[in-house]
Amino acid sequence: MKKIHLSLILLAAFSLVVSSCNKDIEEPLREAYIPTKLDEKGGTWKTYILASSDEVAVAEPKAAGSTEYQAEIAKLKTTISTITPENKKAVAYWGAGAVYRWNEIARELAARYNIPPASNAEGKYPVPDATKPLADPKFPFANPPYVSRAIAYLSVAQYDALVAAWNYKYKYNRKAPSKNDAAVSALLPVSDLPSYPSEDAVVAAASYTVLVAMFPGEVPLLDAKLAEAKNARIWGGMNVDSDISAGDALGKAVAAKVMGRAKTDGMSGANNQTVNAAAIANAKAQGLKSEWLSQELPARPPMLPNYGTVAPWNFDKATMIAMRPSPPPALDSDGFKTALDELKKIDKGQTREQARIANYWSDGAGSYTPPGHWHRAAANLCFQNKLSELATARVQALLGTSQMDAAIACWTLKTIIIIRVRNSLV
Amino acid sequence: MKLLYKLILVLVGGVCLNANAQMPHDAIYMNKNSICIAATYSNSQWKEYWENNLKRENFNIGTHTMQSVMPMIAYGITKRLNLLAGLPYVATKTSAGNLMGQKGFQDLSLFVKYNMVQSESGLSLHGVLGGSVPVSNYVKDFLPMSIGIGSKTLTTRLIAHYRHSSGFYITAHGSYIFRSNIKVDRDAYQADDRVYNTNEVRIPNATDVAARAGYYKKGIQAELFIDKNTCVGGDYIRRNDMPFPTNNMKSTGVGFYGKFQPKNIGFTVMARRVIDGQNMGQSTTLSAGFLYQINFRTKSAEAAKK
Repeated sequence: MKKIHLSLILLAAFSLVVSSCNKDIEEPLREAYIPTKLDEKGGTWKTYILASSDEVAVAEPKAAGSTEYQAEIAKLKTTISTITPENKKAVAYWGAGAVYRWNEIARELAARYNIPPASNAEGKYPVPDATKPLADPKFPFANPPYVSRAIAYLSVAQYDALVAAWNYKYKYNRKAPSKNDAAVSALLPVSDLPSYPSEDAVVAAASYTVLVAMFPGEVPLLDAKLAEAKNARIWGGMNVDSDISAGDALGKAVAAKVMGRAKTDGMSGANNQTVNAAAIANAKAQGLKSEWLSQELPARPPMLPNYGTVAPWNFDKATMIAMRPSPPPALDSDGFKTALDELKKIDKGQTREQARIANYWSDGAGSYTPPGHWHRAAANLCFQNKLSELATARVQALLGTSQMDAAIACWTLKTIIIIRVRNSLV
Repeated sequence: MKLLYKLILVLVGGVCLNANAQMPHDAIYMNKNSICIAATYSNSQWKEYWENNLKRENFNIGTHTMQSVMPMIAYGITKRLNLLAGLPYVATKTSAGNLMGQKGFQDLSLFVKYNMVQSESGLSLHGVLGGSVPVSNYVKDFLPMSIGIGSKTLTTRLIAHYRHSSGFYITAHGSYIFRSNIKVDRDAYQADDRVYNTNEVRIPNATDVAARAGYYKKGIQAELFIDKNTCVGGDYIRRNDMPFPTNNMKSTGVGFYGKFQPKNIGFTVMARRVIDGQNMGQSTTLSAGFLYQINFRTKSAEAAKK
């Protein structure tokens, strides 16, 4: 019997050991840094929507020696002395950078909403309803053009608001709390960037305003993120209350102006399915023999077929037309056949390396989409190069508006030359 | 869903291993120095699946089919300690849509089974330790087309068995399956309602339990079984989204297993139907196997017999 007991105990012990193995996923830590450049002249940088960096007024802050400011510093010290480990985690998380984190949040929401509606019993695909964002299908269907636009507006709002913030920072020149009072112990590295208005609060409020409009079903989550982003600056000893409230007001005001453009950029008509018949007729008039057909069962209507009419950021429509490539080769041409044969060959004998590359870039349903993938790459590059919040926002705005413009130009061509290679593969 | 298969093949030690003269979940042993080689063909199909808890079909999949051929070998180290190994070749396809079918050698599994208690009354207890490793770098997160999820597994299992001298028996077992994390081709993915910005994917552990009742005598075996495979945690398939290796897959199945082995050569058949599940297909699995047993009658074995 001893032998039996031993084997049973060994089996139980082994089960216990393997079941308690730690399998937590570790993601790269993002530690706060002092930017290599503070971009002191950032208040003069060219904005997208704001006519000038002082279009939205920010009141002059109380002087460092004032009773009011000293009271804020005293309150800050009390807060710092009572923060919890959870608060510290939040400080470290947001320390990676406001633009960095809000871009990441936007990508997460993009992935969450990037699922095409399911067909219903009648074989139709219900259109997501903005007034019922959490119903089935959820609103929005965050497909690539939708995400390119959502993050473009997010990045433009962050950037314009930060240009304005930089203007006031160097106009009023209020030092960071820990530089005004050495007894304030900041949890993150403190640069010489003036602290009023808080760049983190500016970005948080601007991002919140855009994301609530783009993902209306996520208000509770965004409320929590906004509150935490602002509180983390206090918990970390980086800003006093008046830095935060001035930043919050500025961010919201600038983002409201940016969203003014969003409301009239033509997106509301992007899913106008009545344009398809004219597009097909136009394509046939140009000599194309077969039109695009959905390969799904039941057939799914084209994704945002009128997205090509949305207003671009960086050029006008005439310029966009001038940039168009030549029409694709005819379906019966040698050039097309050669290209198609290459695809057929891969379809039959895909190598593992081809699969790896395809999987890496597929960014399909449930992912943050190709535009999100590039925003992530940009965010990582900005972080690695220790860019300031302003410079990071500039990179993301340039990328975001370019990706949205590219999507618009691409969609224009799709509806003019209404064809898809996949038709020919079947 | 391939995971269904994964569960059957590796976790339960299921369909393919069923083919053998013995399995990692039964109370049958090879004699010392006997070797059994076997090959089993299995075909598992589903048309409906559980998207989280919603049972649905998908016109862009039609019927999903997973086929496998599993060669395996069992060896009697002693009459009470056996070794079993198998390596399935798996292929997937769908009858509709354009999801690319996958095929290849899946995971090499190895089990050790030990007869811990054997009473005169016919009651016995058995411990099983097992593990599996992928033998090829197949695509792991292209569900339901992937041939496996690429996890390394470790299984511990306790089997209780009672056999009456008439040949009728009942068996019950419970297992815990540790499943390692995996690395996928993409560098970000959604799971647990968030985006992970890494290529490492956490795979939930799993359990399986089963109850079997049947008859086994003189080379004939027939049994009915019910089994339940459950992930320990994991997330769910979002509305109209694809499955993912992190999903909490569950299935309860009922089935029949039969073996006819008059001498060295034998045949097995197995049928299993999933009656309830979550995050996986409602599959029907049919398998048929061939086995060949080689008995090396050593002097010591002869002596032991006497």
